[in-house]
Amino acid sequence: MTEVIVWSGWIGGLAVGLYAIFQWLISGNALGVSTGFGNVCSYFSRAAFFHEGEYATANNWRLWFLIGLPLGGLLAALTSPGEIVASFSLGQMYDSVLPQALWAKGLVLIFGGLLIGYGARAAGGCTSGHSIAGLAMLNPPSVLASAGFFVGGILMVQFLFRLFA
Amino acid sequence: MKKYAFLLFGAVFGFILSRAGATTYDFYAKLFLFEHFQLLWVIVTAAAIGAIGVALLKTIKARSFFESQSIAFKGKPYKSSLVPGSILFGLGWGLAGACPGTALVMLGEGKLGVLFTLTGIFLGTYLYGLQQSRLQRAAQTSRATQSARETEMKLNE
Repeated sequence: MTEVIVWSGWIGGLAVGLYAIFQWLISGNALGVSTGFGNVCSYFSRAAFFHEGEYATANNWRLWFLIGLPLGGLLAALTSPGEIVASFSLGQMYDSVLPQALWAKGLVLIFGGLLIGYGARAAGGCTSGHSIAGLAMLNPPSVLASAGFFVGGILMVQFLFRLFA
Repeated sequence: MKKYAFLLFGAVFGFILSRAGATTYDFYAKLFLFEHFQLLWVIVTAAAIGAIGVALLKTIKARSFFESQSIAFKGKPYKSSLVPGSILFGLGWGLAGACPGTALVMLGEGKLGVLFTLTGIFLGTYLYGLQQSRLQRAAQTSRATQSARETEMKLNE
């Protein structure tokens, strides 16, 4: 697995916070990622949901932002001292609790992704929209959603590591 | 044309997420086991810096560079599915060790497990959209039936 450089938490948070402000100032759009996954669905689905409201136009900034994110990851990996290693490993901790066989691990991760995708739309946003942009605006629903994210995360990981570690 | 700038913005944000440790699986497990608070510090600091920045931009009524009008700072609304949805999201977040943004960044780092996670995120988003479209159609149909019945009753009177 690729080892990347990691800054201390508060410097990382400083950079994330400054980025959110930068995006507001340049474009007027609040930071957000998960809505963009629906933009992609607009190209494949005729369901009304993906063609009205915030999905009236599929090809907007959200789509391009989504494409930019992996480029940032590649850049971060290239500028880290180690070599880039393509791997299905989830690191020492997750590999100790998830199934070894790739197909089974894949099924677990698809299920995890399903919860993330469905949950983000039901909550109206993800960790970017609610926990970075929303908390910065001190928006009460976003505070509530962020608390919900952590409750779910704690429940799942405590369950995983108590049962399978 | 402005939307294409977001290709670059995405790369910048992705790079920052990686350096912040948000693309390192272990930090998610350690956060929710209360062993290491890297990512909590990231969120808390980001929210604090963001709150200061938003307050500042609101005070000076800052205009955005692209739109040349005052930045809206419109918070996401509450809805009844917000709490259950956020908990479902958290369960997936803890299980996959990634969120929608970081999963995409991890792909660029060669962490291929996110190919599954991303497939799941698209499926989950699609299922929600499908469900909402069905519910909306059902509501429209029942409204139409209702108004047809009312018209019929009026005619009978």
